[in-house]
Amino acid sequence: DGAAVLPAPQNLSVRSVNMKHVLTWSPVIVPEEIIHYSVEYQGEYESLYMSHIWIPSSWCSPTQRPECDITEDITATVSYSLRVRATLGSLTSAWSTLKHRFNQNSTILTPPRMEITMDGFHLLIKLEDLGPHFEFFVSYWRKEPGAKEHVKVVRPGVLPVYLEMVEPGAAYCVKARTFVKAIGRHSAFSQPECVKVQGEALPL
Amino acid sequence: VPCVSGDLSKPTNVTFISINMKNILQWNPPEGLQGVEVSYTVQYFIYGQKKWLNKSECRNISRTYCDLSAETSDYEHQYYAKVKAMWGTNCSKWAETGRFYPFLETQIGPPEVALTTDEKSISIVLTAPKKWKKSPEESSISMQQIYSNLKYNVSIYNTRSNRTWSQCVTNHTLVFSWLEPATLYCVLVESFVPGPPRLTQPSERQCVSTLEDQTTALEVK
Amino acid sequence: QEFQFGPCRVEGVVLQKLWQAFWAVKDIVQAQDNITSVQLLRKEVLQNVPETESCHLIHALLRFYVNTVFKSYRDKAVEFGILKSFSILANNFFVIVSKLQASQEKMFSTRKTARRRFLLFHRAFKQLDREAAVTKAFGEMDILLSWMEKFYQL
Repeated sequence: DGAAVLPAPQNLSVRSVNMKHVLTWSPVIVPEEIIHYSVEYQGEYESLYMSHIWIPSSWCSPTQRPECDITEDITATVSYSLRVRATLGSLTSAWSTLKHRFNQNSTILTPPRMEITMDGFHLLIKLEDLGPHFEFFVSYWRKEPGAKEHVKVVRPGVLPVYLEMVEPGAAYCVKARTFVKAIGRHSAFSQPECVKVQGEALPL
Repeated sequence: VPCVSGDLSKPTNVTFISINMKNILQWNPPEGLQGVEVSYTVQYFIYGQKKWLNKSECRNISRTYCDLSAETSDYEHQYYAKVKAMWGTNCSKWAETGRFYPFLETQIGPPEVALTTDEKSISIVLTAPKKWKKSPEESSISMQQIYSNLKYNVSIYNTRSNRTWSQCVTNHTLVFSWLEPATLYCVLVESFVPGPPRLTQPSERQCVSTLEDQTTALEVK
Repeated sequence: QEFQFGPCRVEGVVLQKLWQAFWAVKDIVQAQDNITSVQLLRKEVLQNVPETESCHLIHALLRFYVNTVFKSYRDKAVEFGILKSFSILANNFFVIVSKLQASQEKMFSTRKTARRRFLLFHRAFKQLDREAAVTKAFGEMDILLSWMEKFYQL
């Protein structure tokens, strides 16, 4: 029975940053052979009500690399079981299952990258598109003592988003953080970025 | 004269094309009968009710579409429609649509966009598209009344700096101020409703130029 | 991005994902429902539901979907190859039910009237053959999601 000849993948773990989840494992080595891997998952519902049913991962059934982007498979804030097995021709290994079930609420949230630009006297912000889960809390103020800080909630999009009308000669600063409602958590703020508006300051 | 059912192949691609609740059933002629004098008959069905209903204006027609807007005007119901082809004494079996849910599937047309400018600003007034209505005398219903969460994605393109930026708004008036004088700006607006994936139709691209800066104009004199 | 069913608030579900999941399988699923003369989620069940009753009604409906409809539809989901959409819908409904569970005391006052609406749905379900009823209920999820959308705040 060829099933158990091939060793099962070991050291399964999930690396999750900004709601992008990647399952990794130690590669199974057979000299001069190409090993394929298959990944399957179960949400909490499946493990409670249909524990014999596992769902093939969207991108890694099969794959040759010892990792799998499972982002599209994790679609609810519940805990997921994940398992991997190796295949070489007709030989297949046993399934190896992630020790601790994975929940997306453990993802690491990093401050967003942003680009502050101006179009005429309009302050614009372009934020990296991190996917539909993300909202951005953008905070901006005029760079002068006692300036009021404004906050705007921005949803991801391809185009830059309009923030504020600015005055010639003044300087403005912007910082942003992400918020993921699905898990009720936000990232730290990015470092503030400041820009100076061309032209002379308006007479008071 | 009853026809012999099944000798003719069925019409194909039977589907609803729906924009602002104007619901047109359309189909392709049966395979191999393009150009032949085929006639069609349409029926429709309200999900949850008992029987198929005739559409008298779409009995023995030669065109390949039928306006079922009136019959499907209660947009919170779901519907089916079917069409069969007839040629001489032969006719096809019925070809049926899937379940059609106007509230979720109608395309939201673009708003009307009115632009006015002065030296450094463009004012935009948006008017929500109108729902289809049976007759001109009938009072108009705005799609906003049906979709309270209707939003607009307004994108503005500065032809001089070649930059585009956008803003998602729910209200119907917005002003882009502090623009560059004597510059051509182009505006495009798309209606958007959260929910299932829908086709969208952006508005015609409208371009307008901000006026000359009066201060420089005076100095030149 | 949260639901506000009257007094009950539910965070952590991206409704857009549920729409995409159902829309991907809508034609396959609804094509299996041949009893077009019966609608389970009729207007009498879902129309003009006072906000105060919405929490109890959605809790009863989603608990039924989680405990009965999805459980019975499981093998069909495997057969039609729609496990991915099935999993998205089942797990997110599971999340909503778990979070509504914690608001039980807020639903007590409106139990009777909301219960009557659920029983309209349940009675129609039981009058059908079991497999046909499960297929119909799964196919009417667009009606259910459409009603839930009214309580969803972006």
